[in-house]
Amino acid sequence: MIKISSLSVRYEKKSNLVLKDIDFHLEEGKIGILIGPNGAGKSTLLKSICGLLPLKEGNIIIDKKPLNEFKPRERAKKIAYVPQILSFEPASVYDTVMLGRLPYFSFVPGQSDHEVVTKTLEELNLLHLKDRNVIQLSGGERQKIAIARALAQQSQIIVFDEPTSNLDIAGEELIASYVEILAKEYKKTVLLAVHDLNLAYRLGDTFLFLKEGKSLGVKDKEGFTPEIIEETFGVNASKIDTEDGSIFIIKGEKR
Amino acid sequence: MEDFSRAKRKNLTRKTAITFVVLSVLIVVLFFLGLMVGSSNMAFSESFMALFGQGKASAVRIVQQIRLPRLLAALIAGAGLSVSGLIMQSTLKNPMASPSTLGVSNAAVFGANVAIIGFAGGFLSLGNNLSNYSVGANPFATSTIAFIFAMASTLIVLGLCKIRSFSSEIVVLAGIALGTVWTALTTLLQFFATDVGLSAAIIWTFGDLGRATYETDWIMLGVVAISCIVFIVLQWRYNALASGEDVAKSLGIRVGLLRFVSLLLSSLITAVVVSYLGIIGFVGIICPHAMKRIIGNNHKVLIPASIMAGSVLLLFSDLISRLIGNGTVLPIGAITSLLGGPFFLYLIFARKGDKQ
Repeated sequence: MIKISSLSVRYEKKSNLVLKDIDFHLEEGKIGILIGPNGAGKSTLLKSICGLLPLKEGNIIIDKKPLNEFKPRERAKKIAYVPQILSFEPASVYDTVMLGRLPYFSFVPGQSDHEVVTKTLEELNLLHLKDRNVIQLSGGERQKIAIARALAQQSQIIVFDEPTSNLDIAGEELIASYVEILAKEYKKTVLLAVHDLNLAYRLGDTFLFLKEGKSLGVKDKEGFTPEIIEETFGVNASKIDTEDGSIFIIKGEKR
Repeated sequence: MEDFSRAKRKNLTRKTAITFVVLSVLIVVLFFLGLMVGSSNMAFSESFMALFGQGKASAVRIVQQIRLPRLLAALIAGAGLSVSGLIMQSTLKNPMASPSTLGVSNAAVFGANVAIIGFAGGFLSLGNNLSNYSVGANPFATSTIAFIFAMASTLIVLGLCKIRSFSSEIVVLAGIALGTVWTALTTLLQFFATDVGLSAAIIWTFGDLGRATYETDWIMLGVVAISCIVFIVLQWRYNALASGEDVAKSLGIRVGLLRFVSLLLSSLITAVVVSYLGIIGFVGIICPHAMKRIIGNNHKVLIPASIMAGSVLLLFSDLISRLIGNGTVLPIGAITSLLGGPFFLYLIFARKGDKQ
């Protein structure tokens, strides 16, 4: 469970606030999605939740405990992070996924770490790639490896920063299916920033709309309306209901 | 496609194994060749016997008191400088980082100049008379002052960088800035030096394995061995850092602390080596990069491979510097760069199918 109250973030002393007075709440096992234009503060919020930025104003509570009371390794056992730009060095898939076990071992991976990595690779159908050099894999496969690394972390919460931004449609669908599996089968709490509104609507349970660092509201599926999209992005939007679900159509800039 | 990548993967594992075998063989061969080659023209068997205290007293003295400490210095300093360069590059995520990125070498040179020019190494004012320098110069004092300045420089840079949480760009820039300050101070000092003092100071910077004694070898071994153990313990953390600072932090790594410990130990190695042997450049850049090109970036294998490659390069350079000097030992620092530079260029440009 993630609970954020009155969170404000600035990168340097006396600089402008990047996030202003944000409140947000995400229940265990749910998928939360941050929606907003570039520069709205989505990545900053995700990094704050992962403890990657110093917390100075406001509170982030993870499972009833304030985030800044967690030690780094303890926090890593609670929250895993998949960044927007994946950077891998030449190493085997197995060793790359093993990095997810770093919060659990000090010097050398133990038997249980090897078991978790093998099990994770097996469950995600990646075992056949285990000896491959990770930099020789395709974009979609690398995303899978990053997800496997996060899963090997065995944390309750997994945070994705725009996981589909560099992928084609097939890659996007693959990530979408993984996110659903994480929430439904693994009962993980998943929080992600997504640009594609239709994908966001399909996946999410709770939505936080952000604009210029301010929250425009926390909504459920019912509250995900053309009006909130118009307010967030300054575009004309409409919603069409089809047999397979609802889709949003964007029609130019709002005047 | 699958067959192709399997073949490539097998190649990489086989390459790693071959690399370790070749490096081990080279270390042993170069070490023994180094024992046997020198200006006294001893026969191989004579040198070998002398190593175990057998044979003529003069031969025993040459091998045990001159050649052996020198070769041990090459073995230890090469390993230390190479691994120090690798760790600098990994922790700062900067391929151009070297053992002296924090301005360590520049500071050591200034310290040595203070000792040689200012105090003639033995805290004496000796004027412009060479014989006085050889009598009064105290190598131990020179090394100690060089080391003090090198570590002071390291601590100043690390202290300053703590304010900015050891951001890698800040560390590199601060190191360059402080390095230039030490160089400027050295230039000023040299401007006021006597001709003989200036020559002595410049010759000190050339790098000379001949300055090594068993005592200095033990000290270097202690520093290099402890640092290497720490680096090997931290190998998984360096791999995580390669995936990005945010990912490393999200995996529970205290990135600032990791950088502090790694930079401190890398600089400590450099400070000790430069203070005792003078500047031996380029080992810390060539060897880690050569190993990365050959066996990849996984620190599990990269750290031991870089350690061994550094020893090989310095042993080989030492051998060449003694062979082609015709009785005179050429500066080891120049030889490492002369030998390593072209090999490095070959690695960069000669790889087939690597057009990126």
